[in-house]
Amino acid sequence: MTEFELSKQRVAEGRESRKAAEMPRLSADEKEALLHRYHPDKKKEAYATIRIGPNQGQQTVHEVVRLLEGESPLTSKAPDLNPAHQVDVLIIGGGGAGSSAALMAQAAGAKVLMATKLRLGDSNTVMAEGGMQVAVSPEDSPVRHFVDSLKGGQMANDRTLLKALVSEGPEVAKWLIDMGVLFDREEDGNLSIRSGGGSSLPRLLRCKDYTGLELMRVLKDAVLNEEIQLLEFSPVIEFLTDGEGTCTGAVLKDLDTDKLIVVQAKTVIAATGGIGRLHIQGFPTSNHYGATGDGLAMSYRAGAALTFQDTFQYHPTGSVFPEAMAGLLVTEAIRSVGAQLLNVKGERFIYELETRDAVASAVIRECQEGRGVETPAGRKGVWLDMPLVDVLHGAGTLAEHFPNMVKQFSRYDIDISKDPVLIYPTLHYQNGGVKIDVDSESTLKNLFVAGEASGGIHGRNRLMGNSLLDIVVYGRRAGKAAAKRASEVDFKPLTLSHLDPFQAAKKAAGVVSETVSPILFPDYVNKG
Amino acid sequence: MTISQSVAITVGDEKHTVPEGMTVIQAMWHLGDAMVKNVGCLGGACGACAIICRLPGQMLPKTALACQTMVSEGLNIRFLQGDPSKKEIAPLPAETPSRETVFQYYPETRRCVACQACTSACPQGIDVMVGVREAMIGDLALVAERFTTCVMCGFCAAVCESRIRPHRMGLYARRLAGAFYPKPPTQLDMRIAEISSGQFDREWNDVMQAAQNA
Repeated sequence: MTEFELSKQRVAEGRESRKAAEMPRLSADEKEALLHRYHPDKKKEAYATIRIGPNQGQQTVHEVVRLLEGESPLTSKAPDLNPAHQVDVLIIGGGGAGSSAALMAQAAGAKVLMATKLRLGDSNTVMAEGGMQVAVSPEDSPVRHFVDSLKGGQMANDRTLLKALVSEGPEVAKWLIDMGVLFDREEDGNLSIRSGGGSSLPRLLRCKDYTGLELMRVLKDAVLNEEIQLLEFSPVIEFLTDGEGTCTGAVLKDLDTDKLIVVQAKTVIAATGGIGRLHIQGFPTSNHYGATGDGLAMSYRAGAALTFQDTFQYHPTGSVFPEAMAGLLVTEAIRSVGAQLLNVKGERFIYELETRDAVASAVIRECQEGRGVETPAGRKGVWLDMPLVDVLHGAGTLAEHFPNMVKQFSRYDIDISKDPVLIYPTLHYQNGGVKIDVDSESTLKNLFVAGEASGGIHGRNRLMGNSLLDIVVYGRRAGKAAAKRASEVDFKPLTLSHLDPFQAAKKAAGVVSETVSPILFPDYVNKG
Repeated sequence: MTISQSVAITVGDEKHTVPEGMTVIQAMWHLGDAMVKNVGCLGGACGACAIICRLPGQMLPKTALACQTMVSEGLNIRFLQGDPSKKEIAPLPAETPSRETVFQYYPETRRCVACQACTSACPQGIDVMVGVREAMIGDLALVAERFTTCVMCGFCAAVCESRIRPHRMGLYARRLAGAFYPKPPTQLDMRIAEISSGQFDREWNDVMQAAQNA
């Protein structure tokens, strides 16, 4: 028997004796020490200084520096900027934030155009499994939700943004339910809630382990019902400004024809999502194909400041075996119902519902110190003992509550009700992003940013279930605020003149870039 | 690293050799196809990478998602692009829905001849035909439950000889079942009322003050 199989056997043998064992929680000092030593955000050699732009002198990872300092696909003189479309609100991105924004802007009477890189709905939203945090139980409160999120965010969160997030949670849940989102319910009709890492009370609303799919299906259907104008396979490649610090539109590229489409817009909402496909520090990712940080690069070049651009979430439980599943997420919810993490010896090493940054760091520690399990493809991981869930809650629990997990692994002949699976942290979320105010507006006038592309709400570590909430709360806020602004302003000149000072700054700083950004798609053809 | 074996696959009409252990999507990248139209979440949730595929020993092809399908010797693959079935503009009604609400937008649902083609076409393993029959008898809650894992790839509609659009009908039934859930979420309603009445204001003041200083 191989070490791999022996180790798996040890997990099975220890299951009964482990099932009721309590695991001590980390003290604040222990957590800080663990993060400092093992969290990828603390790895100095992965970071570089940004040499130009609003965040000049600050740090982020090499991959994001390359993106921010990248070459524009356009020059200030190049294209004819006659607009093909003139709209009140241009929304870039068709995930949960973009769709929520579109619905609100349209409802406010604005003329809306949505442009998406792939299809409407192709996003990280659709993949979200675990749930959406909303303080609904009588013991809970928005204030408590706030405090949990602040602790989870390493006390760095923008307080004003966070307060709006948690305060609007209940209203937003109602909005979704009224649109037909089917959250799991209790017998009495109340919303069923579950615990998440770092939360002091259960407050995750969910639809089995398909919460994001459910949200996205309904939001997409609502957008289509409203007949909102939609350009699919048309990513934005550059923002347009009036040359005086106001965003005035964008240049899209039709992926079918490679032709450019100029859009003049009174306001623009960037809901462009995250960065997982940049594979920061070589990590696999749980993100969808289009998560290449387009919004970051374009907003930055147009003059919008970023915040917390140096912090990323490595979700503790990304699959590492079989190889074809590397990086795919195993939902945290499975740990909230009792699945345990075990090293090669079959021993637990962390309380499973610590915050994600802490659990990920502990998994990395085990693997770095020789207590990981090696996969046939040479990856390292630790066990996630999912069969324990059925032991604790009765046979069939996994099948009933985690059909997505069951299905995904069964495609590779792994029965998660019988066998543990191997996991390792996977690049999951960009904690920071474009700096916004409480109306979702960036520091570039009339450019609003919502969802994962924005930063500040989650501080240095987002709690599980706060991003589905974020995209809807701030998508709606952005949609409302952008529509209102559009009713107050006129169309302004379309120029690319903001590229000139950016180019000059690069030259002055000696920045030579081989990256054209936004990159739009990961290059798996040439890099394997 | 273990050395991987190669397998022969056919994509469209072209024969290729790729290392085993890859998904069909990974094999396409390996073959130099940058993939834009047939790729999405890469996690089996979005339906963008719908394929039909067949192994040498099989008579008929089966439907699958390319990101969830491993290459294997002799696998014959065809990518399908998009779901051409029409989505009806189907708003939610003001009154409690019935099966007539569904039939109003998707009247063809009543024409099901129980041939099971939709069920056998579903890459998610949903018993689609039973879902259609549940809609015919008007049990929208059952229909909703049935279509929980639907990724809207549209295979079911493509194979239906009665021109039913089960996935679209199923989503509409889900929205109806959600928006008209028979029991209200009382705790949620109470919480919304508490927030708008300012019940947490004092607590907020204390916490915000403490948080600003922290």
